[in-house]
Amino acid sequence: MKKLFFFVFSVFALSGFDSSAQCNAETLSSQCIPKLASGYNFLKSYKVEKAGKEYVEYSYVFTKGTQYMINICAPDQNSDGIVVTLYDSKRNKVASNKVDDQYIAAIAYPCNATGIYYIQYTFDDESSFCGGSALGFKR
Amino acid sequence: MRILFGGVFLVLLAGCSSGNKSEEQAFADALEGTDLETQVISGEVNDILHRIPSPLEISVLLKESGKKYNASVLNSPDNLSRYNTNYKRALNLGIYGTDLGYTNIYEQRQDGIRYMSSIRDLAVELNIGQFFETETIGRLVSNSSNLDSLLLITTQNFNSINHYLQSQNRSHLSVLFLTGGWLEALHITCEVAKSNPTNPQLQETIGAQKIILDNILHLLSFYKENDRNMAGLLADLEPLKQSFDKVVITTIYKPSTFQVVDGVMVVKDNSSSTVEITQSDVESIRSIAQNIRTKIIS
Repeated sequence: MKKLFFFVFSVFALSGFDSSAQCNAETLSSQCIPKLASGYNFLKSYKVEKAGKEYVEYSYVFTKGTQYMINICAPDQNSDGIVVTLYDSKRNKVASNKVDDQYIAAIAYPCNATGIYYIQYTFDDESSFCGGSALGFKR
Repeated sequence: MRILFGGVFLVLLAGCSSGNKSEEQAFADALEGTDLETQVISGEVNDILHRIPSPLEISVLLKESGKKYNASVLNSPDNLSRYNTNYKRALNLGIYGTDLGYTNIYEQRQDGIRYMSSIRDLAVELNIGQFFETETIGRLVSNSSNLDSLLLITTQNFNSINHYLQSQNRSHLSVLFLTGGWLEALHITCEVAKSNPTNPQLQETIGAQKIILDNILHLLSFYKENDRNMAGLLADLEPLKQSFDKVVITTIYKPSTFQVVDGVMVVKDNSSSTVEITQSDVESIRSIAQNIRTKIIS
């Protein structure tokens, strides 16, 4: 009985290890909007919550000749271990905000090839697994 | 007790009044989406919905390329009374949304106010009127220094509408809203290109819409079995697809490079894409899009 109780307790504890029970991704994504650099028009805000998933992914059609910015907002410092990676329609990696173990809070991407792009968020170990992101554009 | 019961019944009956709508119209609207409102919207539908670009991008492109404002290419806000079904309302909400973005970018305040009014009325009929606070937006429209705020608020509103519709199992209205908005953006670009037939940027912009049309057709295909209106729209768009099939988009991937400037990773995209499209293709696309649009706004 004690083993059973411990097992059940462990299952619940581990399932909540990267829990986003307190994750306020909606607020964080809204906070990211005014942080888009000057001149960028807001397009989309994205909630970034791990919630047991390997990654969070959105997609958007980027247009050649347009500059896009994607930023990240997290509860703690800068992007708090949240990695955003941009892939083109063929899943070629185009950009990532992680450089030399540093997490850059925003990516500016001047698009040269129109197509569907995938915006993927992954979480390094030190992450709170919760954040928000905003996408903007300028010509 | 019978009198009390009768009184409660009459109160409930009055409370169920459809307000400004006739009973017949309210009944028709309720039937229109009944089957679809109970559908569970797949993750794939939502994923595709979110990737459709904002028509605002095209409006900004047109203005920054030096093209002048032309109200005659837009759908008149006075056509509002024609839209008496949720199908037409949702499509034209998208169309008016694009027109509003166009008037905003060109800072045409009076036109913007007229479009806001029509949008608000359509939204109320679609039971999403809570997303438009007319007084606030009206003040912003009349204040030219708040253009950035105006664009932000209207974009956020339209994003919120889509999220709300999806949460209410009414994604079919989101699909119609985005389809209408995209079609209007294509129409405006085509009309501008008609006046500038040798402008390669406009031709390329039109050709690139092939990618978005493919996604819109995919979205509509989810509903074609259960909704004759959306099946009809899918059929109407088929000739447009055939025209776009002649457009060839070629992408060459090369690894990008980057540098960090003031805390921002600035990417240098070394990939490239080309859009092969002829003036004949552009005219064909323009003509077909106009026919489809005329049917929707009439």
